[in-house]
Amino acid sequence: MTRSLVLVAFFIVTNAVAQIPKGVDIRKSLVRITATSQEQDYKVPWNPGSMTVGVGAGFVIDGNRILTNAHVVSNSRFIVVEKEDDPERYPAVVQFVGHDCDLAVLRVLDKGFFQNTRPLGFGGIPTIESPVSVYGYPIGGDRLSVTRGIISRIDFQTYTHSAIDSHLAVQLDAAINPGNSGGPVMQDGKVVGVAFQGYSGDVAQNVGYMIPTPVIRRFLKDISSGHYDGYVDLSITYFKLLNPAERHALGLPDNEQGVMVSSVSSEGSSIATLRQGDVLLTIDDHPIASDGFVQLDGERIEMPEIVERKFKGDTVKFNIWRDKTKQTVEVRLKGNWPYLIQANHYDSPPRFVLFGGLVFQPLSKNFIDSYQVEDLRLRYYYDFFVTDEIYKDHPEVIVLSNILPDPVNAYLSDLRFQIVDQINDKKIRTLEDVADAFAQKSTYYVIHFVGSVRPAVLERSAVEQARDRILGNYDVHKEQYVEGGQSR
Amino acid sequence: MRSLLAIALSFALLHSVIAAPEPTPKEEPVPPEQKGSVVRVNSTNQSYDFLRPWSKEAPFSRRGLGVLIDSRKILVTAELVENSDYIELERADSGEKSVATVQVIDYEANLATLSSPDPKFLEGMQPLQTTTDVKTGDDLSVLQLETNGTPVSTRALVTSVEVGKYALEDSGYLMFRMSCPLQFRENSFTLPIVKENRLAAFLMRYDSRSQTVDAISSPVIEHFLVEAQHQPYKGFPRAGIGFSPTRDPQLRKYMKLQDSDGGVYINQVDQNGPAAKAGVKQGDVLVAIGDKQVDPDGNYLHPIYGKLSITHLTTTEAYCGQHVTMTVIRNGERKQLNVELFRRSSEDYVIEPYTIGKPPRFYILGGLVFQELTRQYLREWGTNWLKDAPQRLVYYDRFQSDLFPEKRKIVFLTQILPAQDTVGYEQLNNLVVTKLNGREILSLDDFAEAVKNPIDGYHKIEFEEDPHEIYLDAKQVEEDAAQLEKTYSLPALQRL
Repeated sequence: MTRSLVLVAFFIVTNAVAQIPKGVDIRKSLVRITATSQEQDYKVPWNPGSMTVGVGAGFVIDGNRILTNAHVVSNSRFIVVEKEDDPERYPAVVQFVGHDCDLAVLRVLDKGFFQNTRPLGFGGIPTIESPVSVYGYPIGGDRLSVTRGIISRIDFQTYTHSAIDSHLAVQLDAAINPGNSGGPVMQDGKVVGVAFQGYSGDVAQNVGYMIPTPVIRRFLKDISSGHYDGYVDLSITYFKLLNPAERHALGLPDNEQGVMVSSVSSEGSSIATLRQGDVLLTIDDHPIASDGFVQLDGERIEMPEIVERKFKGDTVKFNIWRDKTKQTVEVRLKGNWPYLIQANHYDSPPRFVLFGGLVFQPLSKNFIDSYQVEDLRLRYYYDFFVTDEIYKDHPEVIVLSNILPDPVNAYLSDLRFQIVDQINDKKIRTLEDVADAFAQKSTYYVIHFVGSVRPAVLERSAVEQARDRILGNYDVHKEQYVEGGQSR
Repeated sequence: MRSLLAIALSFALLHSVIAAPEPTPKEEPVPPEQKGSVVRVNSTNQSYDFLRPWSKEAPFSRRGLGVLIDSRKILVTAELVENSDYIELERADSGEKSVATVQVIDYEANLATLSSPDPKFLEGMQPLQTTTDVKTGDDLSVLQLETNGTPVSTRALVTSVEVGKYALEDSGYLMFRMSCPLQFRENSFTLPIVKENRLAAFLMRYDSRSQTVDAISSPVIEHFLVEAQHQPYKGFPRAGIGFSPTRDPQLRKYMKLQDSDGGVYINQVDQNGPAAKAGVKQGDVLVAIGDKQVDPDGNYLHPIYGKLSITHLTTTEAYCGQHVTMTVIRNGERKQLNVELFRRSSEDYVIEPYTIGKPPRFYILGGLVFQELTRQYLREWGTNWLKDAPQRLVYYDRFQSDLFPEKRKIVFLTQILPAQDTVGYEQLNNLVVTKLNGREILSLDDFAEAVKNPIDGYHKIEFEEDPHEIYLDAKQVEEDAAQLEKTYSLPALQRL
């Protein structure tokens, strides 16, 4: 499964000698996962999408469950799992998936699968330079493979599966290749990570990453409620207070403590509690250094790591400096939906409305990646959706993304990639609004766009006449799919 | 920047044409009357560096031909002499040289007149008259000079007459397109094109692959020369509207337009522009300008040139200060609006579309460099600036008339010159300033004023985006100023 990884398949035979550490028979725990997936087609949103078959790894954990990467099973239509030393192929289903942390838990329908398996336990964060073994089914053969390496670095990394989330990740120098994804990284008989991403050989060599156990434990705890809520976020940006003049002007002492809140997202956790210009002095009683780091478990880590380990509804306590006085505030944590516009989206079909041969789609990362848009306004609406709070007027940015040429829209081609502002008298804030507007009976549908752009006019009778022709000519079997919008 | 590169490129190609075996272009000797009308123009130009606004870029020279218009004036393209430090005229017959200065320059129309302080220098030369009688299919002659001063002319076939882009991307005027196999020679940057001993056009761009010439047309030259007689120079007017076609029958029906109406949909009206002042509104359908009917694509019928964009009517046929009647259909009713045309100069824009021939303004405060946003600054990112320059600023530039209806400039922090005062600020750049010391900043002049009033000894600088606010110690900044100037060899800390 190379789909969302930076990994590019390169056919080097890895040191694939199955060298099983003493005390653990990995063959009783490792699982080979073959997933058949359908990748959504954002350019032809009514199409079911192209099929891919990918192989990844997983391993048995307590409760007769299999842990793997989300990207191994994303968009899957059919999954089979295999054990070493067992010729049978067992169908499996995704029970929980966390796209923001690239982890998933699978259930095997046949309970017999777990006979003779042994669930693996979890360790802590391994120390730098300590050796680990990586198990999986990377390219180069069909059987179980093991590679060894040492821990190179522990740092925040972007998880490429969602492309927007950053969490703790551990870098190793063991070869991690397509097919390793979801496999356990072991040290002293315990899982210390799940192999998940790396670089292709022409970018960097011997750089692989695993998801460390704090992230795994958080995922397993989150789903123990029977539902995956996902990561929560302070939804603020902050500025390091390293400049002496700035510290003095804010009335702060020269104690190298505190960062300044530079923005607070309107839809995020902190909007009611924090404001721009507040100086954060401590977080849950950990002093925040002027570069934004805190001491935690003897390590210097960035402040957000404190929040990383929390759950929806948890609180975090800050001592802040506001108007030159100290205050204590509490933030109740939740997610921040506007960010998701820049995240890869999986497991549900592209949303769209087709009317008069005009295709309307909400702006999203998948959309931008598919169309490779260079339109300046659209790029701005995408890049600054969160920072400039574009979501206040446009919770969804509805784009006239495509035109299926037909006499009814013969003079509209120059309007492609314009952003819909209004249809007749209705302000368009979401895709549902578009569907509603076209469902209204009206002689004309006048579509107004953002900016100094002429409107598009569609006459209902002309659209009705064109309907079957367009559906037939372009083999469209679904005229809209509006369910599942991100926003409220 | 972009047009420079385009020209540099076309010359590179021209060189390769010479290297490759090519059929010799049809060249003819020049009739004696024209010999005495052209003069070599060598200009040493130096543009300002908008990323280091305190210095100029390396000088370079351009060589072209100028045409004697009356006994004292030489006409050239503006591009040839833009940002010039030194201009030299050279007589083709004698090789005699003289300095020249720019009299009037119009970057939009891409034309300039030069004069020589030595009244005798141009003596004996014949001024060229202009002709606007040029039609598609006409044979014109492109004039060049051999190294030894012998004039040669190359035949050019007029392939189209249309409104097209001039040197700046925002300005479109009437252009003659020609097909012509031209050899590269010295002084080929600007070349006169004549018809029957009269000046018909000025070569502006040449593409050696397709052998096509884009030339400044004589109606534009004539307009320029008429205006150039008046001080101050008023330039070419603009109606201040944007329009789109009304071919779509559904749109026509909805707007209750008759087929005979023609007309274009006005989708943009410049704030305080000529059309806006006359009451033209977005959503109006413009059906006539004066007695000229507007077709659904925005063209009218010109007696000589045929179908032409209506832009020509309001930019070139009419002069600044003149009135034209615009007939619009609004809510199914015809209205006649009297529009007084005037020019919108680059300075009148929030973000200047071009800044040529004048230095960029800047203000350096404690190592923080502030400038007013101009397109010239964004162009420093190279030919791909639309994609590579900071996206927010590019967006502001492109949609400035929608985004900033009021008269103002965008003051922004362009870069940091790291010093003691900027510790912790090193990563900041391209941030739009909203306030300084509590004062709203709508120009660099506002900024300079606000610097005088620090709050409790600190300069509080507020930005539109993260980090939203930073501070400088006002006294410290003052004390460090001389050192900063010295460290970075800055000629000055501000230019307003």
